[in-house]
Amino acid sequence: MSDIPTASHGRNRMVEAIANGTVIDHIPAAVTLKVAALVSGPDDQVFIGQNLRSARLGRKGVVKVSGRLLTGRDLQTLALIAPGASICIIRNYEIAEKRPVGVPDLFEAIARCANPNCVTNHERWPTLFDVTHRDPLLVRCRYCERTVPAADLALLPR
Amino acid sequence: MLTAGSHVISISDFSRADLIAVLDRAAAMERNPGRPLDGRLMATLFFEPSTRTRLSFEAAMLKLGGRVIGFSDAASSSAKKGESLSDTIRMVERYADVIVMRHPRDGAARLAAQVSRVPVINGGDGANQHPTQTFLDLYTIAQEFPELRSGDRELVVAFAGDLRYGRTVHSLLHALCHFRVRVLLVAPRGLEMPADHLDHARAAGLQVEVLPDLQTAAERADVLYMTRLQEERFPDPLEFDHIKATYRISAATLAKAQPRLRILHPLPRVHEIATDVDATVHASYFTQAANGIPVRQAVLATVLGA
Ligand SMILES: [Zn+2]
Repeated sequence: MSDIPTASHGRNRMVEAIANGTVIDHIPAAVTLKVAALVSGPDDQVFIGQNLRSARLGRKGVVKVSGRLLTGRDLQTLALIAPGASICIIRNYEIAEKRPVGVPDLFEAIARCANPNCVTNHERWPTLFDVTHRDPLLVRCRYCERTVPAADLALLPR
Repeated sequence: MLTAGSHVISISDFSRADLIAVLDRAAAMERNPGRPLDGRLMATLFFEPSTRTRLSFEAAMLKLGGRVIGFSDAASSSAKKGESLSDTIRMVERYADVIVMRHPRDGAARLAAQVSRVPVINGGDGANQHPTQTFLDLYTIAQEFPELRSGDRELVVAFAGDLRYGRTVHSLLHALCHFRVRVLLVAPRGLEMPADHLDHARAAGLQVEVLPDLQTAAERADVLYMTRLQEERFPDPLEFDHIKATYRISAATLAKAQPRLRILHPLPRVHEIATDVDATVHASYFTQAANGIPVRQAVLATVLGA
């Protein structure tokens, strides 16, 4: 059973259906609002479902961004804070595509290095992290070479 | 890879073959350096002072026939006026054939290497890396113990002192992962080797033992690599005084050491090695420091394709 109610399913809809856009599902409940804030631009219509029941996660969140696909930056952000989430692309109220967020091999210019003495915290220069371990997610700064849990990274503002 | 045009940034960039090639080239430099860098120019960009490292690089370059420009502290550099590191590098790469850089920030050399079209050699970036120090440490060990390269016997290398913040021990540990080595570790509480370095070493197949005291390490080791204890790491001055007394090697404490034991230290030493060790057969730290010249000559000649 899909966790995502759509108009065509005609079931009780917990979160407003969108005609076109992107649904991020299976977000751990604790980071739902963070995900919503991070992937929504100033003009985006965003719907948030919080503490929904999920067989897999117990409680989960759903975030729907109307009218657009996620950018590469949005996807990297998601991979950092909710790598187990899934993404559905909605066209005309139907799920056109569904896939897991997944984890890329590297994260570019989306988070600050946790090492205060890292050169990227002192020069105007984009950060770069290589993924060294996937579960739990560990990343290594290409510059200062420190390995840290991805959860410890502070995301840069959009 | 370490070849013509390479940057020399981090020990983790180099394979066993790269390390062996540096050792071979350094040995050749000691026998007959020649003047292969005639007419080549090295820029030394020292954003923080390190007289020892700078003089060693400059001597290496000059002895090979090259020339040297540069600055030796940030106060006299354009960084003081707010110029970005990348702009400084973009300027200097147009003057020089090779850049040697020391910088207080971790990762500064990697950033410079991404900008520069001429080779960048890391002369120390914050607490992170100082690869030519590791090359010369390895060269010194290989000189004293041919079995490092041959693998005929497991070499026992003990590290003692500040293993937590000591960048030289972390890098040397990584380099030793390419060889048949047993590692002994002795550190005061709170200054132990960080887990990620230990994990890396064990994953690479090194046997690692943590020992409670320096005496045992000195008696079992082929190589004892000492590091300086820095007072600022100890909040309690009394504790520092106590540890200082414990982490000290003297001729008397070496009475039961194996004759072949060699003691290394990146220098400067303070209290950790008594001066009466200097005259013993075990003292290799001054040879180690002198090895900086042929090793840096080898690195300069290699990256400059000479
Ligand atoms: Zn960093």
